[in-house]
Amino acid sequence: MTRKISIDPITRLEGHGKIEIFLDDSGAVEDTFFQIPELRGFERFVVGRPIEELPRIVTRICGVCPASHHMASAKAVDGCFGGEVAPLAHKLRDMYYQAHFIHSHIAHFYALAAPDFVLGPDADPTIRNVLGVVHKVGLEIGGAVIASRGKAQEIQRIIGGRNTQDIWCLPGGVAKGLKPEELEQIKPWVDELFDFTQFSIQLFKDVVLANPTYVELIVNGPYTLDVHNMGLVDESNAPNFYDGKVRVVDFEGKEICKYAPDEYADFVAEHVEEWSYLKFPYLKKRGWKGFVEGIDSSIYCATPLARLNVADHMATPKAQEAFEEMFATLGGHPCRALLANHWARLVEMVQNAETLKTYCADPEITGDQFRVIPEKVTGEGVGIVEAMRGTLTHHYTCDANAICTSANLIVGTTNNNGPIQMVTKKVAQSLIKPGVEPDQGILNMIEMAFRAFDPCYSCATHSLPGQMPLEVRVHRGGDVTHHFKRQC
Amino acid sequence: MTAAKKTLLIGMGNPILTDDAVGIRLARDLRARLGARPGLDVIEECCVGGLNLLDLVTGYDRLIVLDSIKTADGTPGAWYRFDARSLRETMNLTNVHDTNFATALELGRHMGMKVPADTENHIFAVEIGDNMTFSEELTPELAAAYPDLADEIFAEVEALLL
Repeated sequence: MTRKISIDPITRLEGHGKIEIFLDDSGAVEDTFFQIPELRGFERFVVGRPIEELPRIVTRICGVCPASHHMASAKAVDGCFGGEVAPLAHKLRDMYYQAHFIHSHIAHFYALAAPDFVLGPDADPTIRNVLGVVHKVGLEIGGAVIASRGKAQEIQRIIGGRNTQDIWCLPGGVAKGLKPEELEQIKPWVDELFDFTQFSIQLFKDVVLANPTYVELIVNGPYTLDVHNMGLVDESNAPNFYDGKVRVVDFEGKEICKYAPDEYADFVAEHVEEWSYLKFPYLKKRGWKGFVEGIDSSIYCATPLARLNVADHMATPKAQEAFEEMFATLGGHPCRALLANHWARLVEMVQNAETLKTYCADPEITGDQFRVIPEKVTGEGVGIVEAMRGTLTHHYTCDANAICTSANLIVGTTNNNGPIQMVTKKVAQSLIKPGVEPDQGILNMIEMAFRAFDPCYSCATHSLPGQMPLEVRVHRGGDVTHHFKRQC
Repeated sequence: MTAAKKTLLIGMGNPILTDDAVGIRLARDLRARLGARPGLDVIEECCVGGLNLLDLVTGYDRLIVLDSIKTADGTPGAWYRFDARSLRETMNLTNVHDTNFATALELGRHMGMKVPADTENHIFAVEIGDNMTFSEELTPELAAAYPDLADEIFAEVEALLL
């Protein structure tokens, strides 16, 4: 029986992320636990389905980065059919993916990172949002943000044929090429996006770097971790978001390992904690050593900053300039300051826009040889791409009839689960001390720690209000002494 | 005779995440029952949020959203109707990636884009049981309640469109 209830349900939503903070007798932070609900059963859900369907199914895993799952899945499926892919398809997929990166990074930087820096980390929560940012920086900049994000989204749609729930990638290539008239439509937008990336870098300098308090917070605040870095690189060790090998570099800059996608299981393993549904990946050859920092730690970050930390240089000239300036300002390469992830996103956006320009000038990009029809089933494939928030791995097996027999995914945010736990505790310990009462400002400072990772938890659900609320509980002597819950 | 309000009806949800699909099912069923209506566009399956949603709703006078919701002690199959004013208190910076629905609408309005007024955002939210398990089936509780709730919501949507 259904019933209509005349109460407002918005204030009592379920499905919260939770930060549990435990204080000792003196009032200092003893431990913290960051817990989130996790989706269940995807690996079981896809077993028994035709393997070529998976790139279309996996776009439903995540409402924020469906293109990343589409790409990683397509590459894994390519592998199941022998791995031959039309060279033009690789170019088109990469071109499409650069546009995806740009609009995602714009959304994160301006909607989520900027409020903390433009309005201040302790600003009134009711104005600390993208509307407050627009109010502060002006409608003209706000309009440029909306327009630029929209153009990047439209470029992705034109290349791939759809905005979301992509069906474009097929085994051996893609379902459609890029028409000459579509390329002509895209070209001026790419130039505008490049200009916007330069504007964004300048804005970051003007708003963030010109404020010594923010620079101090980024470089010397509690938002630093001595853990390692992971990211996909090309043959010259420049960042590559679509293809290459995974490189892991320690926080002092020494390479720990470098592996091809099909070797991932030799290098990465996942630890289980009884208090969390989400696993904790670590460097397998070092073994699980706990949530510890230090040169012998087996914990790594896979973030925009980590991608730049594992890179010897950027792949394009203007991005290289931005890369050099960033690390010079931060005290050298690599960098351990997690809030610099926001800056790293902007540097990546420069490379994305420059790479788009290169593709726009490529005479082969409007060709028609965009797919190789697979002729054999080889039964196993691993696809790795960089999702915006970290290295994304899809590993599938199938039988002789190309029916899926297993699937294993390590998603971007999962890589960062350990570091997120660690930095959350570190920030809580630095802010909540004997005699210091936790308040909403402190809550936001703790949120800033994991917001730097652009984490993507349970994002495949779309229940109202379209986000995961957050709850913080402070425990002392067996009692909950403080309880903060965002009104959502 | 005045022109019909330009209306967008969207089914929000994920078709492979158990009860999260209820908004999509409602949109499909309502489209079939309503047939073609002047000024009415339907997006049966919409899984975007935040700024992407702003792209979709720009240019419309009225928005009808069919979605799921999960509240404390809620009974699967119960449903709620409210407008965007009720979502205003969700505008704080709590999402970990994108803006939420209310913030995106307000941003569009602030930027001078034509988006439906808060009172023209008609949201029908169905209480669900499970949106964390991958499955193409509704939970038994929601499946049992579905025929009645679909009839009730259809009647309210049809009255809106008159």
